[in-house]
Amino acid sequence: MKTSRLIARMLGLASLGLALTMTALAAQAETIRVGMSGNYYPFTFVDHDQLQGFEIDVMNAIGEQLGDDVEFVTASFSGLAGMLDSGRIDTIANQITITPERQQKYAFSEPYVYDGAQVVVRKGNDAIHGVEDLKGKTVAVNLGSNYESLLRELPYADQIDIRTYESNIEQDVALGRADAFVMDRVSASQVIKDKPLPLALAGQPFSRIENAYPFRDDDAGRALRDRVNEALDTLRDNGTLSEISQQWFGTDITQPPQNDSSAG
Amino acid sequence: MIALEGITKRFADHTVLDGIDLSLERGEIIVVIGPSGTGKSTLLRCVNFLETPDAGRIQVGDLQVDATHASRDDILALRRRTAFVFQNYALFAHKTALDNIAERMIVVDRLSKSDAHDRAREILERIGLADKADAYPASLSGGQQQRIGIGRAMAAGAEVMLFDEPTSALDPEWVDEVLTLMKQLAAEQQTMIVVSHEMQFAREVADRVVFMEGGHIVEQAPPETLFTNPQDERTRSFLRKVLAGNGPAAP
Amino acid sequence: MHALNVDYMLSLTPILLSYLPLTLGMASLGMVLALVLASLLAVIRVSRVVILDPLARLFISFFRGTPLLVQLFLFYYGLPQFLSFLVSINGVTATIMGLTLHFSAYMAESIRAAIVGIDRSQSEAALSIGMTHAQMMRRIILPQATRVATPTLMNYFIDMIKATSLAFTLGVTELMGATQKEAASSFLYFEAFLVAAIIYWIVVELLSQLQKWLEKRLNRAYQR
Repeated sequence: MKTSRLIARMLGLASLGLALTMTALAAQAETIRVGMSGNYYPFTFVDHDQLQGFEIDVMNAIGEQLGDDVEFVTASFSGLAGMLDSGRIDTIANQITITPERQQKYAFSEPYVYDGAQVVVRKGNDAIHGVEDLKGKTVAVNLGSNYESLLRELPYADQIDIRTYESNIEQDVALGRADAFVMDRVSASQVIKDKPLPLALAGQPFSRIENAYPFRDDDAGRALRDRVNEALDTLRDNGTLSEISQQWFGTDITQPPQNDSSAG
Repeated sequence: MIALEGITKRFADHTVLDGIDLSLERGEIIVVIGPSGTGKSTLLRCVNFLETPDAGRIQVGDLQVDATHASRDDILALRRRTAFVFQNYALFAHKTALDNIAERMIVVDRLSKSDAHDRAREILERIGLADKADAYPASLSGGQQQRIGIGRAMAAGAEVMLFDEPTSALDPEWVDEVLTLMKQLAAEQQTMIVVSHEMQFAREVADRVVFMEGGHIVEQAPPETLFTNPQDERTRSFLRKVLAGNGPAAP
Repeated sequence: MHALNVDYMLSLTPILLSYLPLTLGMASLGMVLALVLASLLAVIRVSRVVILDPLARLFISFFRGTPLLVQLFLFYYGLPQFLSFLVSINGVTATIMGLTLHFSAYMAESIRAAIVGIDRSQSEAALSIGMTHAQMMRRIILPQATRVATPTLMNYFIDMIKATSLAFTLGVTELMGATQKEAASSFLYFEAFLVAAIIYWIVVELLSQLQKWLEKRLNRAYQR
């Protein structure tokens, strides 16, 4: 519903041939503009024109906590960083994993999802039991995602045929075009459980990942980051985060793991 | 009335026109003859600035244009006082016969569309193509197209009409109707410079025949003199070849 | 794998159709603007206008030589980092601008070719009756060049409709973006993209009919 309002407004502006708004709104955070791909089930997805998912619920809870409006902007994943850099959105809610490179560029909130990178194969594939079996295989990852760098950091990375996708990596593995894909364990499990694709998890997660909200690393961005952190603390303490997680995943992915064998 | 002085035109290092002087009176009809490639057409095109002369002066009525510093306005003014008939008709392919003729009156003379169309209809009447007003060039015969081309030139009300081999591209069967129209214009005292290989036409219609060769005017005289008693050996040699077949020369 | 989920397709159709006006709107506005710009560029190129001609050539070379997606990223995300006022341009406007600039470069070349293809003697005839260069272009050359270029230009329009799908990278959800999102949540890829394909197909087929009718009309002057 918010998306369609956004479209209507954009169309109106375009037909005038002018676009003068938005700058004034930038970084004041009375409305937090949140970018997401809208095609990352079940975190952010559109079903019959309804934008929904874990990310939407968490962000709405944060907005409620802060007394701010939240405006969701969907764009293809590869466009999101540009939108943040150019000030068109204030943060990204798309399971952005904290990495050293990204930390140099953005001010990250505290993590709100703890997860692991998971290898997923076509059901019945007995050749791949984990990340160590990816040598000589074709592996799909989302373009610009953290999983691409995770794979490239492996000592035998040059023996893996890494293919980057804008979307639909699940489909290409299901079709057998790629031998495996890598994404976070939580959504991979969810996809296998809910959707009619012949996929299976291959082995245990191979890397701890912590996902958080990136903000522009300037005064306004850091100020907003600090406010979001406070809200996250409150929501974690009062059980809201767990509740949302349970609702979507049947498990709590928002708490840091007590031991190192991240969630079973 | 119309005077060309020292018109010179070079293409690369080849001098096509070497200081041509030529003048004619109002109502005078000049036919320019000569071997192919001797600059006849180029001379005509220079008068209209379709080619820019490298040197020389052009006077049409009270308008004087020096080729070496002709302004855009000079060139426009010169073109508006002259009219050009092309060898291949060059009709506007997307416009009807009527619109081909009316175009100049609408765009250049700024007549209202209905006035321009009225006058264009009169012209169509005069050239005998009143029934072809709404025909597009592609549906007309070569002879009809060239008559429209002449009609378009007539619409200019120009002080001088320039004909660049108006019958050379025509099938023989259409030549007569075009020449007849030109004779009709001649009878109306229209000033004309005609580049042509039609010796019979020159003989009948021209007040003066100009023989050109190698970028020079070799000889000029009334037709009866030039055809029967040419003074220069080059003229004689050309006429011998052309008249040998007792008909129009192939270009 | 699974039977074709027709119910899902039917339920998706009105939703995807609701994004069609945006797709067509962006393409149409882009087409009109691109036509104007392309004609201007083509005339500059053909007439060899001083200073402008090399600039037009540079423009055409750049916008033909780089992918549309790269151009969109450059202008929408890249330039605002240097020119902050550009942030205020929204995704729809940026997409239309991108389509205009990109396709005008291609269209300029086909219009130029069409102009060059018009018999030179017609431009001489126009000049000889005292038209200015601009009048000649506007009244004699461009109308005919447009006819020659129309089939190619229609093809560019069709390309443009399909290229609007890149708007999703600028945060504009149009037909393709909406389809991607629906497919990614239902995982019914075949069904979702089949609906989108059929919608595109019908639109393009209607346009082809329009093109045929248009060509017939424009060719009236050339039938014996």
